[in-house]
Amino acid sequence: MVVRTCSFLLLCLIASAAFLFQNASAETEKTTQIDFDFATDIRPLLSDACFSCHGPDEEHREAELRLDLKESVFGAHDGHALIVPGKPDESLIYQRMITADEDERMPPVDSGKKLSTSDIEKIRKWIAAGAPWASHWAFQPPEKPALPNVKQKQLVQNPIDAFVLEKLEQQQLTFSKPADRITLLRRLSLDLTGLPPSIQEVDQFLNDKAPNAYEKQVKRLLASPHYGERWGRIWLDAARYADSNGYEKDAPREVWLYRDWVIDAFNQNMPYDQFILEQIAGDLLPNATQDQQIATGFMRNSMLNEEGGIDPEEFRMTAMFDRMDTIGKSVLGLTLQCGQCHTHKYDPLTQENYYQIFACINNSYEASIRGYTDEEQHKRQALLKKINAIEQALKAKLPDWSAKMAAWEQTVQHNQPEWTVLKLTNTDSNSQRYFEQPDHSMLAQGYAPSKFTSNFEATVDASELKALRLELLNHPNLPAGGPGRSIEGLCALTDIKLTVINPKDPKQTTSVKFSKATADFSNERQQLPPKYADQKGVRGFTGPVAYAIDGDNTTAWGIDVGPGRFNQPREAVFRADKPFGYPEGTKLKISLVQMHGGWNSDDNQTMNLGRFRISCSSADNAKVDPVPDPIRQILQIPHTKRTPEQQNQLFSYWRTTVPEWSAENNEIEALWKQHPQGATQLVYQERPDPRSTHLLDRGDFLKKKQVVQPGVPDFLNRLPQDAPVNRLTFARWLVDRKSPTTARAIVNRVWQAYFGKGIVSTSEDLGSQGAAPTHRKLLDWMSVWFMDQGWDLKKLHTLIVTSRTYQQSSKVSPELYAKDPYNRFFARGPRYRVDAELVRDIALRASGLLNPKVGGPSVYPPSPAFLYQKPASYGPKTWIEAEDDNRYRRAIYTFRFRSVPYPMLQAFDAPNGDISTVKRTRSNTPLQALTTLNETLFMECATGLAETTLTQQVATDEQRIETAFRNCVSRFPSASEKQLLSQFLTKQRTYFADHPEEAKQLAAHNKTKTNTTDFAAWVALSRVLLNMDETITKE
Amino acid sequence: MNQDQHPAHPIARRWFLQQCGVGAGAIALQQMLQESGYAAPTKTGDIQDPLAPRKPHHPPKAKNIIFLFMGGGPSHLELFDNKPVLGKFDGKLPPEELLKGYRAAFIDPNSKFLGPKFKFAKHGQCGAELSEILPHLSEVVDDIAIVKSMKTDAFNHAPAQIQALTGSQLFGKPSLGAWTIYGLGSESKNLPGFVVFSSGNKGPSGGNSCWGSGFLPTVHQGVMFRGGQEPVLYLKNPPGVSEHLQRDSLDTLKALNQNRLEQVGDPEIATRINSFEMAYRMQSSAPDVMDITQETKQTLEMYGAEPGKSSFANNCLLARRLVERGVRCIQLFHESWDQHGGLVGGLKNNCKATDQASAALIKDLKQRGLLKDTLVVWGGEFGRTPMVQGGNDGRDHHPNAFTMWLAGGGIKGGTTIGRSDDFGFNVIEDEVPVHDLHATILHLLGLNPHRLSFRFQGLDQRLIGVNPAKIVKKILA
Repeated sequence: MVVRTCSFLLLCLIASAAFLFQNASAETEKTTQIDFDFATDIRPLLSDACFSCHGPDEEHREAELRLDLKESVFGAHDGHALIVPGKPDESLIYQRMITADEDERMPPVDSGKKLSTSDIEKIRKWIAAGAPWASHWAFQPPEKPALPNVKQKQLVQNPIDAFVLEKLEQQQLTFSKPADRITLLRRLSLDLTGLPPSIQEVDQFLNDKAPNAYEKQVKRLLASPHYGERWGRIWLDAARYADSNGYEKDAPREVWLYRDWVIDAFNQNMPYDQFILEQIAGDLLPNATQDQQIATGFMRNSMLNEEGGIDPEEFRMTAMFDRMDTIGKSVLGLTLQCGQCHTHKYDPLTQENYYQIFACINNSYEASIRGYTDEEQHKRQALLKKINAIEQALKAKLPDWSAKMAAWEQTVQHNQPEWTVLKLTNTDSNSQRYFEQPDHSMLAQGYAPSKFTSNFEATVDASELKALRLELLNHPNLPAGGPGRSIEGLCALTDIKLTVINPKDPKQTTSVKFSKATADFSNERQQLPPKYADQKGVRGFTGPVAYAIDGDNTTAWGIDVGPGRFNQPREAVFRADKPFGYPEGTKLKISLVQMHGGWNSDDNQTMNLGRFRISCSSADNAKVDPVPDPIRQILQIPHTKRTPEQQNQLFSYWRTTVPEWSAENNEIEALWKQHPQGATQLVYQERPDPRSTHLLDRGDFLKKKQVVQPGVPDFLNRLPQDAPVNRLTFARWLVDRKSPTTARAIVNRVWQAYFGKGIVSTSEDLGSQGAAPTHRKLLDWMSVWFMDQGWDLKKLHTLIVTSRTYQQSSKVSPELYAKDPYNRFFARGPRYRVDAELVRDIALRASGLLNPKVGGPSVYPPSPAFLYQKPASYGPKTWIEAEDDNRYRRAIYTFRFRSVPYPMLQAFDAPNGDISTVKRTRSNTPLQALTTLNETLFMECATGLAETTLTQQVATDEQRIETAFRNCVSRFPSASEKQLLSQFLTKQRTYFADHPEEAKQLAAHNKTKTNTTDFAAWVALSRVLLNMDETITKE
Repeated sequence: MNQDQHPAHPIARRWFLQQCGVGAGAIALQQMLQESGYAAPTKTGDIQDPLAPRKPHHPPKAKNIIFLFMGGGPSHLELFDNKPVLGKFDGKLPPEELLKGYRAAFIDPNSKFLGPKFKFAKHGQCGAELSEILPHLSEVVDDIAIVKSMKTDAFNHAPAQIQALTGSQLFGKPSLGAWTIYGLGSESKNLPGFVVFSSGNKGPSGGNSCWGSGFLPTVHQGVMFRGGQEPVLYLKNPPGVSEHLQRDSLDTLKALNQNRLEQVGDPEIATRINSFEMAYRMQSSAPDVMDITQETKQTLEMYGAEPGKSSFANNCLLARRLVERGVRCIQLFHESWDQHGGLVGGLKNNCKATDQASAALIKDLKQRGLLKDTLVVWGGEFGRTPMVQGGNDGRDHHPNAFTMWLAGGGIKGGTTIGRSDDFGFNVIEDEVPVHDLHATILHLLGLNPHRLSFRFQGLDQRLIGVNPAKIVKKILA
């Protein structure tokens, strides 16, 4: 299969030579002129009707006939020429389409495919005209076409207009008049920042008589931090961003650092190629920064199934399929998904190709790191600098510190007893799953119960044992690297229990009592945070390691050293009061009691051990090694081979053992207490040993077929030749200038965001089955220009918004509407209801309630509480409604549970992040009306707008109505609108005067000096304004 | 002062009314319908209400569907599929060849068999066998078709529920209800066409995606209702907004929107006006449909429904009331069937909560002449293992064989089809994969499962997937 597609382009070239010859001999009907294009008019017909059985998919190919390749289309089948250029009646393809014999006719009736009479006529004309052939348009890299020659040259403001006008003139249409300035500024403001302009901004623009007044506004808005929120949100759809894991448990996850990275990248105007590169492989860039690692959160936005009884590998594979689909849709604008189970039926993508790409991205941990915001980073740097200064001072104070440290090293080199590592077997049912690591440690994955005991068995050929050692270890798959599974990577060991059995005579068992426990670190006795309370609100304690052998379920060994140093390996040693084991060998049954999680295991309340290893020893008086494992590892490196960084780490530990330095050590400990907490973030992190990727039969992860090497399909651009084929190279390939679809896909989607529809309306699929572009030359011109400009998105925005095409009025006459109902020719400006987030943001902005803060953890605006409880939700979810101004943050910051989407956003078609979405639907429903009429926040906005309106200095009703109206839609109300509104106001004043109780309720939050009746009437009026179609529409 | 520099053509009022009359159509949607090659497209250029009733592919046997979704995986071995042989093998390990390639969620597959916990008896004219804990269903057994040969691919809850309701284990696909509304539109003017209820211990594992619209336009997604006076979110006027003010506000809003429509000519504004009017009507119609005090004492008792309570019984009764008002698709979730332990007690409780109401729904629909137009489907995402989990009172998830039943429009009552082996482990006769069940449901609703498609990502996507699916003819009337 691979060989064939490899040669696809080459064969096309050869075939086209043959075609020239055929063409020359087919002059007979050459007089027929066709007014359509093969790539956009004929190929899609063949693709749709024929390729499913006569296309790239070998497995389902009928009659060994392929109609997607030129050499086969212009070849013969059973001795008949499929196509004789110029002669439809001699062309088998055409004959089979028109034959009266139902059994012979193509496509077959039972295929569900159909060609209409007019489609067949098109094909006839195409053959009659010599059957000119081209491969699918989007698989050829875009080339910059010449600007078309148009009649009304004076209407061309920039190249976009020339391409649009060319089509308009063909349709005997022309541009609409420019939109008025207010409409234009509101449109621009909504498009670039997602917020309507303030009245002041409108007035400023109206009064700016400079010829470049509009360009100034474009610049101002592109420089606004809200620009990143608007365009970042569009990307977050494609990145299937959500704040929870999805599936049954749907536990919250911390990924907002990625969301902020996206916003920031847009605001910084990161070139689009770099933007993609960092999201696919930022961690592999040389000296990757924290931001570049966070960017790979893009790969990790897949859903995660953590219900009990799952096989984590199965759902890692499901996440991999999701990543493939996402890269296909969001970056390439192509459908890769088919390749999971079989060769693509329409595009030349084989199943092997699919798994080649899969192999490029299949070698990562499902990792999580701790990240810090800029502010936290500064604080952290300052702190580390202070600590370093103290350490330098210590060194200065003790000039022979180096010799002293070396002497200390000698004393600790061989002071540890011998330990035998146990090969553990978990004996529980598959609730939390344990995976044995090469060092015989166990890694806990999958569902994480929050109060439970896990049981292990191991058999050793030893007796007279005296102690157990428990090592808590890091692993990239644990939160922030572990060693625990709590959201911070911590854990708590409630108790450790041991029973030994004589393997030869299982009736002989002894319950071992531990008399002494030591640990390299235990936190001070402290109560667990409220999150870990049980349903009665009772919270356990963590503290000294002795808590792990006290048989008390309320106390546990704790390793919480505080922010900045959470994620370190720890160990404890438990000594038995007397030797244990049997001369015939000893079977150990070890129970790890973990009762310190909270009551709701679906809400990140676990305190489980993440990765651990258990050993036993027969040494007397075994106690814990005070030297931490990372320091031990440095000690094993000969002096001369250590890096300065390793020497520094060694010093940082050694100084804590020097009794004379207790003051300085305490000072440093006090500094650590000020360390910022940070947040965790799911990331991609390359594994040291490559995972092999197999082609999977029907996409079933248990049915592995041949091993597939990383690679890319041949019908797209080639991989860079000078680099190893890995994820970084793959990322570079995606954004290579020669990629035929990458630039087109994003340019098309930017256009879609402005005009409601892409130039290719199927923005998720530019492949053979995608819709034909309405303005292919325009798309290609912009794509090449975009790359020429360094993939500069702000330049692309500037180009589009300064075109005449964009600036037209969106008003439409019945005649124009009848001619072009969907505005596919752009004879008018775009007019449509704004995206879900903007619906809310407009109300917040208009009412003056908006909290414009950019970035930070997701927030919890008002939402009906029952949604987050059973039986509406699978399990209880935490939704603590923000009572502060976080209530009024922009909708991009609203916490998104996948299984329980925020109702307002869902009503207005926001996707829930289950899968990558590059095109939203735009519905218009009664549920939306109910939301804007009655939902809590919209009512608060109505109150807010009334308040803003009434706190205006000296004003008449009419002036107030005007202000309120302008706050919602920017323009001034017409006389009739003003009349309608003031009649309404008057009527409601009278009504409320008669109904004081209702007035009191509606004016419950009146903070103005206006009386209750009056205020209530203004709230009612504001509510009407906020519900106008125009308020939530970009005109 | 009006800043409009270029007053547009005022749009002819006649034209406005026309468009407004045609209804709540989103233009983009219409385009999509056309591009999708939808089976029965409207005439090009029409602005079509995406929810307007549409002609089916063939005369339907059922107009409505009520899906009683038993989340968690009900034990076929205790409810429908009597396995005396399994009882004889209680406590013995399963034969090795049975477990080849078998994966279980929690247990080691090589666990001992657990014999059935309840007695079975034959009922009705048809003599179908049912468990003793389904006394009410046994009364209507001649009206239902039992399928003992269901099979699915997933053995974890969320993926299996998503497969049972969207045809795929991968998220992002439209639900059965969404496909139905997409294919047939909605008969109800004042209520959503696809309504969802949830009762039981918790919400469905598949969450919101169980009734999602996937890649179909969002208007087709299910709307979750709950008991009480505010079945739909934000249905009630906020405090201080009286009926009087609501009407006044809507009138002014309508006038303002009409004004704008005449200025700018975008028919979407007409749609918006319609949406607000329908919302207003829904404000009175939805509480009305939820008000089960309007039912006779006899009816309430038949279901075991109690006004003011939130229960499966109430939801069954509400389903009937919704069907009467033209709601096409109703999905009831009762997520309580995951008996890893406490099998006997759990099943007794579940049957107590659901058996009477499920049977009452059939009786009630029948006595009102609605059963012939309404398809009722009962079942969960998978069955349970014949092997024990824990001591001797639990079973793990089992996808290879389980039971569902159907009743009503187009279903041959008193039928039992399919057989599993002596252990209820594998299907050995008339296997019905999930896609075939979906094909059968669509067929009964008048839709050709192979033709009902929507172009997305270059593929004509179908509920039944890319491969052909079979209609289960043996259960058709």
